[in-house]
Amino acid sequence: MLALIKIKNLMALISLFLLISTVQAEPLSAKQVVINFQNDLIEVMKQGKKLGYQGRVEALTTPVLNSHDLTKISRIVIGKQWKAFSDDEKQQMIKVFTELSIASYAHNFKEHSGESFRYESEEQTARGGVIVHTYLVLPKDKDVQFDYMLKKKGERWQIINIIANGVSDLALKRSEYTSILKREGFDVLIAKISEKITLYSQQ
Amino acid sequence: MKGLENNQQIKTALINSLLLSAVLLNGCATTKDTEITAETIEVPSEELLSEEIDNDPYEGFNRAMYDFNEVVDSYVGEPVSSAYRWVMPNIVQTGISNFFNNTKGINVVLNDVLQGKFQQSLEDSGRFLMNSTVGIGGIFDVATQVGLEQNDEDFGQTLATWGVPTGPYLVLPFVGPGSFRAIPGVAVDTLANPITYLGYPIQILAILNARANADGALKFIDEAALDPYVFTRESYLQWRDYLSTDGNPTLTDDISEEDLFADEEYTVEPIDIDDDISESTDTVLDESKPKD
Repeated sequence: MLALIKIKNLMALISLFLLISTVQAEPLSAKQVVINFQNDLIEVMKQGKKLGYQGRVEALTTPVLNSHDLTKISRIVIGKQWKAFSDDEKQQMIKVFTELSIASYAHNFKEHSGESFRYESEEQTARGGVIVHTYLVLPKDKDVQFDYMLKKKGERWQIINIIANGVSDLALKRSEYTSILKREGFDVLIAKISEKITLYSQQ
Repeated sequence: MKGLENNQQIKTALINSLLLSAVLLNGCATTKDTEITAETIEVPSEELLSEEIDNDPYEGFNRAMYDFNEVVDSYVGEPVSSAYRWVMPNIVQTGISNFFNNTKGINVVLNDVLQGKFQQSLEDSGRFLMNSTVGIGGIFDVATQVGLEQNDEDFGQTLATWGVPTGPYLVLPFVGPGSFRAIPGVAVDTLANPITYLGYPIQILAILNARANADGALKFIDEAALDPYVFTRESYLQWRDYLSTDGNPTLTDDISEEDLFADEEYTVEPIDIDDDISESTDTVLDESKPKD
């Protein structure tokens, strides 16, 4: 009897699970991932002063983690050296890089003075990615072109690069990081990233 | 009488030192003002990312020059520029900035034509004429207000559209980031700018203006860069690529395939990003409990 109840429960659980997964099975489109993230960013900017740096970090953590594939980004910015990293080093790199990404958003988007994002178009890349073209509209200056490159991670579209007026964040970081790794080594790289995070938190 | 002589000497000394600073500063201003100096990159971004392709074979020399320019800038460029920004009211700075920007208009039209952009050359001519007349010699940027946006063209971009390769990256003392192709680029841009033919007081002002305008970008580099030399080089090369392709660099090739898929075997989640989902799952499961 007990066993029967257990099986019934199990069946109920499984059917519930299936139900949930069908609801969840409609992943956001690449465009929607970008737009949602930009909306979150503008919201945080609007409350930026009130929140303070720490508040902005907390408010941005989930939006950044949900929309960016920081594991993949960490790997790409390290380049070929990644394979030579120990598991500890890999984890450490992903950890500080994640912190840096959130910290730099919290630092650079600290207040709102009429900025907004405008969606322009999207295109498929030959390698199964999507590029979402948007503009950061500045009230007193020329618009800044923001192109987001997304890749699918499982079912979810995630940002792996942001290109602002043609300057690729991924390429820039990769050049810097590989150069530091080559010249000064892993510990210095981690120390420099950590130093940056501290600096952001103080300003 | 003696006092007057002293005054004269002080004046001469001041002018001399200002001139010297201007010469030194000129380098620093162009060093940082990546938008102004000419030169472009033709290497596709994918190659930029690839570690085998070296766009900076003279890195040792370049780093030395970069450090030198940094020192000069921190002793001369930065202090003089701060003084300038402190003395000049904002509205005057904007006027001065507009004026010098407008003098670039002739060069923009010239390069529009050289690149075969005839429609754009008409618009840019209209823009230059409007700002030079209604905008009182370019002090007011009337054209932007009526919707005639400024186009950014220079001889470095023209050379790029003609298929001249970038050549290696090069940092020159007092001149800053560039490449082998930048040399003819800057030469033509300088010749096509009326400021070149004016006296030194105007040129000093042009330099002060350029350095002051670059201030925001320089502070950003200081703040964001882990390795300012590499940061400057990469953003310079990419920005030039963006300009010479008129805002359409080959984004699709931004990351090589190997890089995108090589990490599939290794996936570590630093933080559980599925928190929301597992929470909602738990809630629903909890609700099922009373049915037991």
